[in-house]
Amino acid sequence: MSMIQVVQAKLAAGEFSCRELTCAYLDAIGRDNGALNAYVRTTPDVALEAADRVDRKLARGEALLPLEGVPMTLKDNISTRGVETTCCSRMLQGYVPIYSAFVWEVLQKQGAVLLGKTNMDEFAMGSSSETSCFGGSLNPHDLSRVAGGSSGGAASAVAGNLAVYGLGSDTGGSIRQPASFCGVTGLKPSYGAVSRFGLVAYASSLDQIGPIAPSAGDCAAIYDVISEYDPMDSTCRGRREAALPRLEEGIRGMKIGMPEEYFSGVRPEVLSALESAGEVFRSLGAELVPFRLPALQYALPVYYILACAEAASNLGRYDGIRYGYRTAHYSGVHDMVCRTRTEGFGKEVQRRILLGNYVLSSGYYDAYYKKAQGLRGAIVKGFREAFEKCDIIMAPTVPMTAFPQNFTGADPVETYLTDICTVPVNIAGLPALSTPCGYDSGGLPIGMQLIGNTFCEASILTAAHQYEKAAGQHKATKWGVTL
Amino acid sequence: MVTREEIQKIALLSKLLIPEEELDGLTADMQDIIAFADTIRAAEDLADPDFDSISGACNAFREDEVLPSRPPEEILQNVGGGEDGCFPVRRRM
Repeated sequence: MSMIQVVQAKLAAGEFSCRELTCAYLDAIGRDNGALNAYVRTTPDVALEAADRVDRKLARGEALLPLEGVPMTLKDNISTRGVETTCCSRMLQGYVPIYSAFVWEVLQKQGAVLLGKTNMDEFAMGSSSETSCFGGSLNPHDLSRVAGGSSGGAASAVAGNLAVYGLGSDTGGSIRQPASFCGVTGLKPSYGAVSRFGLVAYASSLDQIGPIAPSAGDCAAIYDVISEYDPMDSTCRGRREAALPRLEEGIRGMKIGMPEEYFSGVRPEVLSALESAGEVFRSLGAELVPFRLPALQYALPVYYILACAEAASNLGRYDGIRYGYRTAHYSGVHDMVCRTRTEGFGKEVQRRILLGNYVLSSGYYDAYYKKAQGLRGAIVKGFREAFEKCDIIMAPTVPMTAFPQNFTGADPVETYLTDICTVPVNIAGLPALSTPCGYDSGGLPIGMQLIGNTFCEASILTAAHQYEKAAGQHKATKWGVTL
Repeated sequence: MVTREEIQKIALLSKLLIPEEELDGLTADMQDIIAFADTIRAAEDLADPDFDSISGACNAFREDEVLPSRPPEEILQNVGGGEDGCFPVRRRM
């Protein structure tokens, strides 16, 4: 059973009330968040009000909706009306949205119990959560290691049993990488499957909201709820098919592609875990198909050119006039805007804005932005051709396990290189998930990435679910609530 | 190779102020990052010049219906209510 099913079964059986369950999670957050720094704020009033509504519904003998009564979190770049939303940046401290993100509206109608907002790299720019103005989130498996980023708080909360599931966002791997580091499952849906309305934009052609949860079954249940068509996001088409009904399909005959380019430069223990996962898939009747995707070698620079260009445009709105931080001393409006942005944004965000405006500037636009767009087309084409030969693709999520704190501080390019396995998926707009497939010699989780064709989330979730059933239980951490 | 002067120009376009004492370090960082971005120059024949957009949607319009606007006091709540329905900015000569 998925954790969501376990919680709902226990609620329905009266083992505990929803209020008791919610209080248990809030107490655990109070006890453990000091160590993990997964949450940047809790929302006990919102949570308990929702929990009490669920308890009244149960008392009337009514059945629960798919995610009803389940304690969860939202990354702090997902707008929540009336609840501060900062993107973990000084620039948005004190900002309280006057509207909610579409996904949060949907989950509220489902009766979700929001425990709080989770930590992240500032404006989702980073791979460790350490660029957060609240400090980084730590890995529940080893506190000397990062939880990853940018959705590090959500992954830390789920792995630390401080929430049943969380929603994060993924622009270049920000759901999958922390899921891999923290030993949980994270799904980045196809571009356009989930509404971005109310998601504070980083790179609008790459961003997607998705679930981080204990298992593929949990992710499938959440995906089926949040992937609703939203007319307020002109790029949103909603899901093509529900994932949950297909989970128990076997994968006999499924062709699982393994692109050569994904497996070079990967640490030996990660490679070994992926090879063992491959054997599990073979034992379930799947066929592994090696192939080449040469355009992948340019994925990282293409990603950073396009993402930073879009970010430079998106973050132009932060000027201290209508919301957020404003500098205290200035000589005129232009000076106010410049000082506000310089004082409000952290160094990594400033670097990406500078890179973005550089590649868009006169004299450089053709050589960088236009060229990168053309290469994006080549990467899309490469994946399209790959999916003529295979049903899904298997790859590492990250070439290594969770890195130590401050590993990413010294050299920005060194940090960018760790995203090598995840960014091609965002460039191509494909769905992909990370699920645990082993542990290294230090006990740190290793993540396996499964990539699907456009709007084929059901295929990768089914494969991940079947793998989980065959490969056995994940290692639980000592933190949080035990159900 | 990107120069200090180019970084200053881009910072101006970005509405960011770079302190003089940080400019050399930032220039060095940006040189490394741009050298990394420059690797796409080697991909001469791979680019697809017809690639347009990752979104499959085209002319995704909503019905043009008149709906009430958000109340001004709601829009101004993040600046403490504003002044006379406006976002105030302190006057400077």
